[in-house]
Parts: sequence; structure tokens; C-alpha cells
Amino acid sequence: MRRRRIFLTGAAALLATALTAALAACSSGHGSASSGSGASGASGTLTISNEQGTQWNCSFNPFNPGDLGQGVTMGQVYEPLMFVDTLQNAKVTPWLASSYAWGAGNKTLTFTIQQGVTFSDGTPMTAADVAFTFNLLKKFPALDINAVWSVLSSVAQQGDNVTMTFKAPSVPYFYYIADQIPIVPEHIWSKIANPVTYADSKPVGTGAYLVSPCTAQNITYVANPHYWQKGEPKIAKVLYPAFTSNDPANTYLATGQAQWGSQFIPNIDQFYTSKSKDNHYWFPPIANVSLIPNLTVPGLSDVAVRQAMAYALDRDKIASVGEYGEEPGANQNGVDTPTFSAWLDTADAAKYNYGYNPAKAQSLLTADGYVKGSDGIYAKNGQKLSFTVINIGGYSDWVASMSVIQSELKAVGIGLSPDNLAQTDDLAKLQSGDYQLAYYAQTSGPTPYYEFRQWLYSGNSAPIGKQAASNWERYNNPATDKLLASYATTTDSATQHGIVNQLQQVVLSDVPYIPITEEVGWFQYNTASFTGWPTPANPYALPAAYAYPDMGQVLLHLAPKS
Amino acid sequence: MRFILRRAGFFVLTLWAAVTLNFFLPRLMPGNPAIAMMARFHGRLTGQALASLETIFGVNTHQSLLSQYWHYLGDMATGNFGTSLFFYPSPVGQVVRSAIPWTLGLVGVTTILAFILGTGVGIVGGWRRGGLIDSVAPPLLVITSAIPYFWVGMMFILVFGLKLQWLPWSGGADLAATPGWDAGYIGNVVEHAILPALALLVTTIGTWTLTMRNNMVTTLAEDYVRMARAKGLPTRRIMLDYAARNAVLPNLTGFAMSLGFVVGGAILIEYVFNYPGVGYMLLQAVENEDYPLMQALFLLITLAVLVAILLADIVTAVFDPRTRTA
Repeated sequence: MRRRRIFLTGAAALLATALTAALAACSSGHGSASSGSGASGASGTLTISNEQGTQWNCSFNPFNPGDLGQGVTMGQVYEPLMFVDTLQNAKVTPWLASSYAWGAGNKTLTFTIQQGVTFSDGTPMTAADVAFTFNLLKKFPALDINAVWSVLSSVAQQGDNVTMTFKAPSVPYFYYIADQIPIVPEHIWSKIANPVTYADSKPVGTGAYLVSPCTAQNITYVANPHYWQKGEPKIAKVLYPAFTSNDPANTYLATGQAQWGSQFIPNIDQFYTSKSKDNHYWFPPIANVSLIPNLTVPGLSDVAVRQAMAYALDRDKIASVGEYGEEPGANQNGVDTPTFSAWLDTADAAKYNYGYNPAKAQSLLTADGYVKGSDGIYAKNGQKLSFTVINIGGYSDWVASMSVIQSELKAVGIGLSPDNLAQTDDLAKLQSGDYQLAYYAQTSGPTPYYEFRQWLYSGNSAPIGKQAASNWERYNNPATDKLLASYATTTDSATQHGIVNQLQQVVLSDVPYIPITEEVGWFQYNTASFTGWPTPANPYALPAAYAYPDMGQVLLHLAPKS
Repeated sequence: MRFILRRAGFFVLTLWAAVTLNFFLPRLMPGNPAIAMMARFHGRLTGQALASLETIFGVNTHQSLLSQYWHYLGDMATGNFGTSLFFYPSPVGQVVRSAIPWTLGLVGVTTILAFILGTGVGIVGGWRRGGLIDSVAPPLLVITSAIPYFWVGMMFILVFGLKLQWLPWSGGADLAATPGWDAGYIGNVVEHAILPALALLVTTIGTWTLTMRNNMVTTLAEDYVRMARAKGLPTRRIMLDYAARNAVLPNLTGFAMSLGFVVGGAILIEYVFNYPGVGYMLLQAVENEDYPLMQALFLLITLAVLVAILLADIVTAVFDPRTRTA
């Protein structure tokens, strides 16, 4: 997930702290949504406060990556085939498709499309539109952000059914195909000469909301009066203002001007929850922020050194110092808890028992033949355990975390010198392998498998100097590749769990990366005027407003309080 | 005439140098726009998206740098700035047009006001040295101009925005307001501009007052001022036509430059007040390696500064005949 961070420099950082402190002292605000009259019995106005770091460009092309595109359309304006809940073990609920079925040894996937769905211009949405959308991605690879055509061989429509045929069994791609691809109307998109550069300023989708109007500073969504799901949506108007920085966005939440927040708020209990009994927050973990060793670097290629590092770090302390305790510490299994607790291989975790254990770290190094030098740093054959670590200087929380990591590694005789870079520079170095250690997070998915595949699959790696997609540490193990491939062939839950357990053993024994803290979905909400928010007890969608198509699901669940 | 021609020649040369730098500097930055996009949305975009992004942005074009430069010069001359990569697929022209009126309106008007007010206070203060205005204004303004802008902005938000709730403190207009040339919307925009403008005014006015007052003091000691007094000219005329007219000359170039830099926006204002404008946009363009947007904005700033300086040169030449021979 995209990070919501205090991305600040110099004077602005000062400002953030000062304003936060000043506001914490100032008591004000009571959340209330002004009433508004909408079509089909919908009422109320919901305001979102989500720091996207940009003004809107009012382009609603749902195939454009990021906040400007997918983020403002997927779910509420354009809808996908099925909703896959990343917080409930990939629980699938129907959306534009009523059902799906795997066939031919998991090489075909057939969706049955709902009847009675219409686009906002009144045209019925049919299976032909679905097939058209997928074939559009084939024709214009730049639109195929999820690279579904790397595994698909054809998509064909027959009556109400759309059948996808794969080159090989590709069960995990269900998530991208069903949940991440917006269905667009054929009668409009077939006439667009270049859909890649199409601005789509007046989007026509099947979703519950219409855009009316959009300015650089605010997107106004109004309820679609002819929405195909009866009785939905219940909120008449949704305002989505553009916030370029955290502070105004946070203040908007604290003063009750916005009811749905999705960003990092420092000192949140004092700044936000203390302002109203109706203010709440919930931060579900979704991915691992990890210390990434470049496995081609001498010293770091030594598994004993990586294991020693994993024992040397007090992850809970790093999380509480670096992340204000708003993100939990991670585990060496590489499985986010509590989100994926059902997948956690506790037996193997107990075998390795990666807790904070500096003595064990040092004994591992000594057993491997390392000797502590006069400077307190271990060395073997003239190879000193002293490394530089690249980090993003603008992420103040990551920089703070790194200073804890630095002092904890120093304590076990491993030297670390942080190199704080601009984010583009950092990512370019990470991808090309031009680093010793790095600190970064990985893509997540509806089960832990997705993150494991990003980290471990050798096809996501590349030689040093070439861009690696996600296997930045350059881990290469044919047995692990085979394991990852076998997951793609099965829809059986027990088998999947068995495979994910084995993947955890790989991470525990080989330590290809060291998970430090758990990246969360940022979510603050006010219950004074609206009910139906996602909660830990009912995690029906990832609740961050920047999560798609989850935002559309949340809007369908919310209702004004009468 | 020769003076103006020479100035114009200098103008063209500087412009070419700036435009060329503008082309090469961004391309020396590490990474590329697709990687920058990945960095911004990492976690949301899988590694496979990079290929798709590079296709969209045309990153892997195999054009030589020289032919790119040639195209670039042509595009700059015709005002074809291309498609913004950060605000993809919006054209750069449209992106800039959506932000520049806010910047010109707020920063432009405030800069002119600050200059007029500051200079006015400076003239009066220098003329009545030791008078009430002279003993209160300069020390006070030294203090206000030394306070960081963002701090003043924050305090204004806290006091007038949150405590007293007199004025709006976020954005350029109400979220629900529909843009248009009607009184309601314009009033709304003006209302939103008051706090940021006041904060900017408070922190910039001091510089003009201080330099103007000091220039006045020096000028008042000149023989031609004594001569004017001896001739028995009206006080007003001596103050404005004899002293102020000469004392303002050194400030004119400074004013012209700050007018030019108006186009660059004011990042901190936009940051603190969540105000729309080109300042933050420029920062974003640089961070995200949005070459087309960066080039358009830098060109705009360069042009504005150069034009402002050219105008200042001409105005100075009108006011002060001695400079015409230079």
C-alpha cells in the first residue's frame, strides 16, 4: 500500500510538529455531516480527508495507475467483476459477476455476469463489455497494469459468461482479474483512438457514484440515481478534497470537517481521538517493511550474518520509536499479523524463535568464524561486517526506525551507516541492485503468498545493474520457485496453507530479508453521522480511502444515521 | 534606443542559456519518471507495472540527446509542452493553467501590495526621521520580517481559523462552491485568500520599508534636496519628486525580480494553507521527474524574471537618465 507518511523537509517538518502541538492544545470540533438531498432516498454529505500529496487533474481514466486514475474511480465509479477482501483471507463477494468457476485443471476461469446492470448513461452492461475490457488491455499493453496478459491466452464471451483461458494454471491471478480491473463500456471505449492518453473527464461506469463536478481542489461524487443495486448508495454526496500535505488534512479530521481519514497522524490519541467520542481509528497491517540485504554483497551473502541480524533487532522497540507505535513490529515468518494470523506457521516460528536476542546473534557470528575487531565490529578473512543502508530521507519515521536499527546492530558488532536518499534515487538503486542494505516495503495481496512471491520468485529478480521488479535482494532458489509455481495450480485451501508454511520456512532459515515493521492501512473515522464503517470485528474491506476497489465497498456499506 | 537593443540582446542570450540548462539538468537526475511513479505508489503497483509505465511515458525511446534537444527547442518556441507525466494524461498547458491564476492572484497581488505599502511607510519614516511612524514601524517590521513565514501562517490558522473561526484556512475556495465568475464564488475565493495573503504581507513588507527608509535618509542629505528646500518647494513635492523618486531606484530591480519569482509560486504558503498554486506543483514535478511539467514551469519562471528585469531596466532608465549611457 502506498505510504501515508510525514513527507517533509526542513522547515516544513518543524511546521508539522509545531502545528500538531498547537492543535493538540486547542479543543474544538464536533463531527457532523451536513444534510443534502440526493436521488433515490440517499442523503447526507460525507467528506474524505486523505493526503494524496497532489491537486486533482480531473482525469478519470481507470487504467491510469495511482491516485489520479484508479484511486478516484475504481469501486465507486467503475466496478470490477468480484470483490476480494484482502483482510478476510481473500473472501470473494459478487460484484458485476454473480459467480465464477475454475475449469480445465485451473487453466480456465469462467465468470457469470449479473443481469440488469446498467452504465450511468442507461446502456445495459453485458458480458460483451467484460470481454471487450480484457481484450482492450491486450491491445494496449500500457493499460495492463497488473500484467494479466502475461498469463492469459484468450478471453471470450458466450451469452452471460466470460471465459478466460490461461497459458498455464494461474490461480493467484484471480485477484487481479476479478478485483483489480474496471469494466468499461464498449460503446464508448471502442470509439477512443488512444485509450492510454484518454482523459475520461466524464466517466461513464456502472458504479454507485457519478462525478459532478471535479475541480483541481475537490472531486464531488453524487449518488447514481439509477444504480443497479437496489437501495444503494445511501449517501447522497461524497466530497474528496485534494490535500497536498498532512497537516491541513489532519486538522480537517480533528475539527470534524471530514469524517473519513486515511493518513498518518502523529500522536493520534491526543490529536484526534480525544477531540470527540465519535472519533475512532483502526490500522490493519497489510505488508512488511523490511531490511533488505543485497545477497551478492560479501558478508551479506553469508546466511549466518543475516540470521544474526534477525536476532539482533528488537522489532517492537523499532515500531514504537520509529512509528509512534502506530505500526506493529513484524515477525521473521514474513506473515502480517493479525491480518493473516490463520496463515502463521507457529511451529516453525517456535523452532527458530526469532525474538530479540543479541547474545544469540553474537554466538551465531562467532560460531561462523567471525572475530570481533578492536573497533567492536566483527570480521572474517578481512571482510568486516560494516555496511551502508539506503533509506528514503523524506520518510521521517523510516529514518527514526533506522537509527534504532543502527544502534541495535552496533551492539552485536555489525556496523551500519545510513544513506538517506530522495525516493526516486532510492528506488532506482534498489531496483538495479546498487546498494548493500536497503529499507523498503513490498506489495501485498489477499493472502501472504502474494508478498512471498514478490520477494522470492527469481523471475522478479535481475542481474546486478539491471532492474529487478520486486526481488531486489536477488534471492534465487529453484526449490522456492517450484514451491511458488505449485501454489498457482491449486485452489485447495489446505494445499495452499501447506505451501505458504514451506515459504515461511524458507524465510526463517535463509533470511533473504528481515521484516521489521508491519505497514498498515491508515483509517480514521467518525461515527456521529454515519454508520457501517469497517471494524476489526467486521473487516469487510481495506478501509483506507486510497485502497481500491475497497473504497467503493465502504461507500456501499455506509449509511447516514437517521 | 541602443540601450534598449543591447538589453534585449542580453535578454535573448540569457533566455537561450536558461532554456538549455532547463533541458539538461532534469536529465542528469537519477532514475526515470516510471521509477518515480513506482516510488510514489510503491506497494500499490506490482513490479510488472513498471513495463507498462515505461511504455506510457515513452521512457525507453532511443532518440539521441541531441535530437531530443532539437525537438525540445521547437516545442518550447511553439508552446507545445506535451503531456504531464505526473498528472498523466493531462496536457502540461492545462495543468499549469489550472494552478497559475491562484498563484498570480495571491502571490502577485500580495507582492505588489507589500512593495507599495512597505515603500510608502519607508518614505514617510525616512522623511520624518524620529517621528512616530519612524520610531514604531521599522523596529516592528524588522521583527515581523524575521519570523518564518510558515510560523506566522500557522498562528493565523490557529487564532483566526480555528479559535475565532473568522476565516477559512484551507484551500482556495469552499469545497462545495462551483467555480464561476459570479459574486458568490469570487467573494468565497477572496475570503480564502485573506489569511495566506496577510501572513505573506506581514513577513515581506519589512524588507521594503527598511531599505526604502535608509535610501530616503541618504537621499535627503543630497545637495539637490537642500536646493529644493531652499527654493521653497512644497514639502510633498520635495518628498515624492526629489527624494523618493531617487531613493526608490535601487529597490526597483529587487521588486522586478520578486515579481518575476511570483510565477514560481510560494511552496510554504501552499503547504500551510493547502492553497492551490504552482509552487507545490513545481516541487512535485521535480520529485517525480516530470520533465515536461518541470520544463514548462522553469521556462515560465525564467521568462517572467527576465521580462521583469528588462522592464525594471527600462523604468530605471526613464527615472534616471545617467543609466542610459551605461
